[in-house]
Amino acid sequence: MTGLDPRYGAEVRRRMATMSGAGDLAAGPGVVRVAAGDREQGTEIVLAARIDGDRVVELRFRAFGCPHLIAAASWVTDRLRGASRTDLERWDWQELVTTLEVPPAKFGRLLTLQDAVRALARNWPGALRSTV
Amino acid sequence: MNGVVYLDNAATTPVDPRVVEEMLGCLDATGDFANPSATGHAPGRRARARVEQARAEVAAAVGASAAQVIWTSGATEADNLALLGAAHFYRSRGQHLVTSRTEHPAVLDACRQLEREGFEVTYLKPAPDGLVEPAQVEAALRPETIMVSLMHVNNEIGVRQDVGAVGRLCRERGILFHVDAAQGAGKLPLDVEKDCIDLLALTAHKVHGPKGVGALCLRLEPRLGLVPLLYGGGQERGLRSGTLPTHQIVGMGAAYRIAVAGMEEESSRISTLRDLLWTGLARLPGVRMNGHATQRAPGILSVTIDGVEGESLLFELPGLAVASGSACATTHAEPSYVLRALGHGDRLAQSTLRLSLGRFTTRSEVDCAVGAITAAVGKLRAVAPGGLVA
Repeated sequence: MTGLDPRYGAEVRRRMATMSGAGDLAAGPGVVRVAAGDREQGTEIVLAARIDGDRVVELRFRAFGCPHLIAAASWVTDRLRGASRTDLERWDWQELVTTLEVPPAKFGRLLTLQDAVRALARNWPGALRSTV
Repeated sequence: MNGVVYLDNAATTPVDPRVVEEMLGCLDATGDFANPSATGHAPGRRARARVEQARAEVAAAVGASAAQVIWTSGATEADNLALLGAAHFYRSRGQHLVTSRTEHPAVLDACRQLEREGFEVTYLKPAPDGLVEPAQVEAALRPETIMVSLMHVNNEIGVRQDVGAVGRLCRERGILFHVDAAQGAGKLPLDVEKDCIDLLALTAHKVHGPKGVGALCLRLEPRLGLVPLLYGGGQERGLRSGTLPTHQIVGMGAAYRIAVAGMEEESSRISTLRDLLWTGLARLPGVRMNGHATQRAPGILSVTIDGVEGESLLFELPGLAVASGSACATTHAEPSYVLRALGHGDRLAQSTLRLSLGRFTTRSEVDCAVGAITAAVGKLRAVAPGGLVA
């Protein structure tokens, strides 16, 4: 047996090492900040997006949670750069399962991330609030 | 150890090379390998002599006589034999037991089994510092109470219970007193006579002995009744059938002999290292020590670190072998029931590390651990929403 913890795949290890996309965006025109989850429950995510026209041009995350959640939030900041509001509304957590080798016991945490992504769509600048 | 700093000595310890050497003398054809029950021939008698020498060594470590020691496979079996065996034997006297919520699962699960059989168990809630006051025990006693079970040293937070005070109040009332001493025996003074302990569970692997062997030390005068858990060859006075594993038993005897001989010096050295570890970690904001500050075993430090999630913290510490505040010995990330019993919420229980030091822990390893934990906490807090900075 190697020293690597088999619970975590290469992509999780890579993103935990680099923390790509971690941070925040200064408040300003087109910047939207949303939160999902509850730290008391072990999972909390804040996403900050700069939206220019009909596209997300920059995305940052902050996360409190397990390595899979942090890696997923990092991955989303890459994946959804350039996304439209419709892309955000349709984004589904399940594409992360294979990419990050997420075990079923943690699927609920990915749903929290999806909640945050959908909240970005609901708070799209100039958009009417969704009832979803 | 392959570049990893081992700070999980409360889970198990590496076997002391001196112990290994003695064990090796009981394995192959040139050594004392024979069945110690086969005393009809010389090799069997030699093996029996080794077993009896080890029995005396273990007994001496806890102020007992050799005749009081029954070999088992470990503390879990010893706890089960004590609780189930005594409860079954004394059932006609009463069916009530008292224990605490922070006992090891070997005790709690045995108590749950007794509840399924119709016994009643009172689970005392320790104070936030982890201590169970003797007055709490006294208040829980009933005319039908047959036994009190309280651990010597808690395996998660390291607090040391005043087993002597509880033992005396039990003895005055004719109630059996069982102590799980897996974490404390060989590291702290313990005396079954002075502390009025009727049943004492011991293990070898927490004191640099081998896994797979333990002992139950039981009161002889007046003789205690126990219903055995295992039936077979009638070894150990019929209380624990099964061929005695000479090499394991010899290892346990050696481990306790060595531990007791160096107890004072080792306790002082490890306490100093533990205090250095705590001093280093306490520089971080939002860090607290769990359990009573002074009434504790030398080698266990439990710290809760606010603003970090436990699994991620462990992920960031690949060079450290430490335990988290999640349930030990399982693959589930359930928050520790011990920490929850002390009033920790689930989140804080999951943000807890148990660092446990042993005979081979060095100052440089402690420094390394402080550095690694400080860096990991800083990294995780930096990506967490709001909150603390390292």
